[in-house]
Amino acid sequence: MSIAPLLNKVFMVDLIKGLKVTFKYQHPKEVYTEQYPLERPAIAERYRGLPRLNVNPETGETLCIACNLCATACPEHLIVVQSERNPATKRKEMTSFTLDISRCMFCGLCAEACSTDCLELSQDYEFALYSRDGFIIDRARMERGSEPTVYTR
Amino acid sequence: MLDYVTSYLHSSLTPGQAGNWLWALVYILVIFAGVSGIVIVMNWGERKALAHMQVRLGPMRVGPHGLMQPIADAIKLLTKEDIMPSEADKPIFWLAPVWVVMIAFSVFIVVPFGPTHAVTDMNIGILFMLGVSSLGVLGIVMAGWASNSHFPLMGALRSSAQMVSYEIAMGLAVVSAIVMTGLGGIGPYGIGSGAGSGTLSMIGIVQAQAQQHVWFIFKFFPVGLVAFFIFAVAMIAETNRAPFDLPEAESELVAGFHTEYSGLRWSLFMLGEYAGMVAVSSIAITLWLGGWLRPFPSTHGPAINIPFLWEHPEQGVVDFAFSFAPALVMLALAFFSFFNAMRMPKHPLLKIQTIGLYAFGLVLAGVGLILLAPPVRDRIQDIFWFVFKIACFMYLYIWYRATWPRYRFDQLMKVGWKVLLPLGLGVLLVTGIIGLGPEIAAWLKGVV
Repeated sequence: MSIAPLLNKVFMVDLIKGLKVTFKYQHPKEVYTEQYPLERPAIAERYRGLPRLNVNPETGETLCIACNLCATACPEHLIVVQSERNPATKRKEMTSFTLDISRCMFCGLCAEACSTDCLELSQDYEFALYSRDGFIIDRARMERGSEPTVYTR
Repeated sequence: MLDYVTSYLHSSLTPGQAGNWLWALVYILVIFAGVSGIVIVMNWGERKALAHMQVRLGPMRVGPHGLMQPIADAIKLLTKEDIMPSEADKPIFWLAPVWVVMIAFSVFIVVPFGPTHAVTDMNIGILFMLGVSSLGVLGIVMAGWASNSHFPLMGALRSSAQMVSYEIAMGLAVVSAIVMTGLGGIGPYGIGSGAGSGTLSMIGIVQAQAQQHVWFIFKFFPVGLVAFFIFAVAMIAETNRAPFDLPEAESELVAGFHTEYSGLRWSLFMLGEYAGMVAVSSIAITLWLGGWLRPFPSTHGPAINIPFLWEHPEQGVVDFAFSFAPALVMLALAFFSFFNAMRMPKHPLLKIQTIGLYAFGLVLAGVGLILLAPPVRDRIQDIFWFVFKIACFMYLYIWYRATWPRYRFDQLMKVGWKVLLPLGLGVLLVTGIIGLGPEIAAWLKGVV
């Protein structure tokens, strides 16, 4: 054995280096944990969370034209769009829109398919539920968007 | 009766030596409470320091910065279901945790927190400590055997092999320190200026360090340091702590010897483990780090008599400066908690916690101010330095655990038998040769 590795071993240089690393990490600024309900994480803009149906901000009407492209694009066939033709305007109008988020994998293909930028994946991530009943979300829920849980204590 | 109580106050002996059972009982209760207090603080401190080293936060919810976490843990453990496996050997299963705690606490009989602050002083003190503390392994083996399960048995087997191997190296290191008490020279390299006290008593060992004006870690540098290093490694192995925690290796043996234990019995094992850590640390402190002596004890002069310091203000400015250390440490801790209280996020839900942290800081500052008062300041010196050194050792235990991975069993045996044992023999030999240097030189002269 050559002399340098032997001295390394005798004086436990590597072990002391390790101690130095852990000692440095004690500084409070190194802490990585988030105090979750108090501090909310910064979500990336392109994060794919709960799908949302956008409305026209001026009129409050939905942007959906009931073209059914999203339902066709969905690989799991989770989207059901129902529509009827308005006899006055001769346009198709969406009557109901449901999405089963319990099976959704947030691939974003529906949002890509949407021709009017109505369906979009929001940054909302808080949709855990106590039973399976609420996982099929409807148009009203998707237009309301993010509903973060409020903790009082 | 009153005479009996007050008569001890004027004696300069430990209650055991003075034959005063009442004060001995008081000392036992105080030491029991104190060690349990250290275990409680350690419970919080370990989780917190370990968490910060792993860039986590650790307990934060029960009290400010999780300060009440040990209490919550205690309530949880006490109210948990007490499970005893149906195929277990019931009397032994019951006895094992009791045994571990009993052994861990009975070694504190001879631990000297100050020249008079021990339950008793035996003339075979260090031998008693080593003998009794090595009985602790019996509790672990009993737990492993009585559980009637594979993982505990494996843990107990590993534990017994490990303890037997490391006890030898530990003993050799201790003998080298005891030999040093018999060499009377002054200073790190003082040789042959009269024989020393040559004692096995815990108080005697510290007094020998005071008389020789050197902590034994610096005696015959680096011989004392190497002996201390051997002991420091062996003591981690003896207490089954990382990186030598094979008997309770989580990733291999679930929880090792206490896999089948839960609730109160499990907490007794934890209490025993932490009390054992304090016990072996206090052996190391007594033998090498000057026990209750403060740093640079040699500036005292030969008449070292710390507990009655306030009667001798002429003893110098260094003593005066060091006498502020306990108060300064408490005030620093108080400042630390005020600082953290100010850094707390301003959130209505955290208001009570912030107030609690301010109150905790106030309590610490109050204790610090009490420690500033001259009579308290001088009387607390020796106890403070001993506890301060214990705290340093406890921090080192956490630091090691956070840093180093567990040794493999063959590596453990290799370190014990092929490194520490020869090293210990060498240190003992070198200590003897240096200590008997003048005699050997004289003999050689006679031969030549």
